[in-house]
Amino acid sequence: MLRWVRGRAPAPEFEEVALVHLDLLYRTALRLTHNRAEAEDLVQETWLRALRHFDQFDPGSNCRAWLVTILRNAFLNKLRREGRERLESEAAGDAGRSAAFEDSAVERSTPEEEFLQTVFHGDVERALKALPETSRQVIMLADLEGFTYREIAQVLSCPIGTVMSRLSRARQLLRKELQALAREHGYSGESR
Amino acid sequence: MICQEFEARLQAFVDGELDVETMTTAQAHVSSCPECYGRADGERRFRVLLRQQPQEVAPPELRGRLLAVARRERRRATLRLWVGAPALATAAVLLAALLMTRALPPGPSAPRLVDMLVDKHLAYAQIESPAEFTSSEPGQVATWLRDRIGMRVPVPDYSQAGIRLVGARMSEAEEQKLAYLLYEKGHMLMSVFMLPNTAETVTLPGKVVSYRGHEYLTRDRKSLRTVFWRDGQAVFSLVSMLDYDALLECADRLRTERARETRL
Repeated sequence: MLRWVRGRAPAPEFEEVALVHLDLLYRTALRLTHNRAEAEDLVQETWLRALRHFDQFDPGSNCRAWLVTILRNAFLNKLRREGRERLESEAAGDAGRSAAFEDSAVERSTPEEEFLQTVFHGDVERALKALPETSRQVIMLADLEGFTYREIAQVLSCPIGTVMSRLSRARQLLRKELQALAREHGYSGESR
Repeated sequence: MICQEFEARLQAFVDGELDVETMTTAQAHVSSCPECYGRADGERRFRVLLRQQPQEVAPPELRGRLLAVARRERRRATLRLWVGAPALATAAVLLAALLMTRALPPGPSAPRLVDMLVDKHLAYAQIESPAEFTSSEPGQVATWLRDRIGMRVPVPDYSQAGIRLVGARMSEAEEQKLAYLLYEKGHMLMSVFMLPNTAETVTLPGKVVSYRGHEYLTRDRKSLRTVFWRDGQAVFSLVSMLDYDALLECADRLRTERARETRL
């Protein structure tokens, strides 16, 4: 005999809480997978996981960081299943490299940003694609989606200090890529 | 703060992530140092450029698909609960449909209406707080409903059978107002819809069953059992996943209560 039970089924508020972040999730998935179909699948998987664990979500806490964390973990699991470990290996080399980059940041004396005027639409996405995965992620969260350091630290499950060093490095890399693109467009200014 | 110190904090400064004290010191330095002002300004313009990038939005079909996934998942979660629970504790009583409408169109729309109530029950069962007016006090619920539909509504007390009154809500079907009572046994729901003044010509679809001297109609749909009957101008219906014995018992009590109220 079938019986209808009302009880611990996920509350309908999940959709209300989560749906407003759909575009963010989709963009994030797109930047991780570089493929629309895969991005949609990843968002759907994230959605389902979030729904199933919605009872563990504290309504007072940060929903978008929670959702992006789930999305990122789902993506990493998928990579592991597929035997690709590019994110991990890159994260391992992160600490050593970022120290070197911070040194060069201090040496930098006159940040000329004129080249920014010659950055065309599409350049940023192109430049982002040329960045290593970890760099792309922090830029995307901080600069494109406006996440705070704390939110990024939650998503990447790393200390805030690491977020800061990764972000600093990522921005330099991105700047370099954009300068290269600006040169392609004919900008002749001094670029370092 | 000297330039070197400022530069070490430049990113956090532009990101607005410094603590108030450091932020104040940094601000003071920037306003007195053209070089560092230039650095901060460059960083800011860089952020603005990034922020201005056209942002992709999720395809509309994805939105629809996710909503469907959530609905399906909710049904599955519910199913898991039934399967995992002991049979008696999960006995669901859905006492659905004391139907109220002024002018129910006769004929073909009747089966549609009865089925629509089953759908309504399913829909309400998915809402976290299905009752518009929440009270376990039959008197209060009866008053609330009477104020809204302008007639006396029987609200039976099934608490001795472990069926707790949850509350009531107003609803509609076929553009007619109907009253809805909600009961709960454990995690199981039981709903009552009421539809008064149903035309005599309306034929109700179902198998005729006799219980304690009264005739009822029964109908299975979407794994739910529906017991309904005509009482004068009104049509009442109980829908449930409980067995028909339990439903008929609830129906009998409702009928008895209504007869008593009508006499008063």
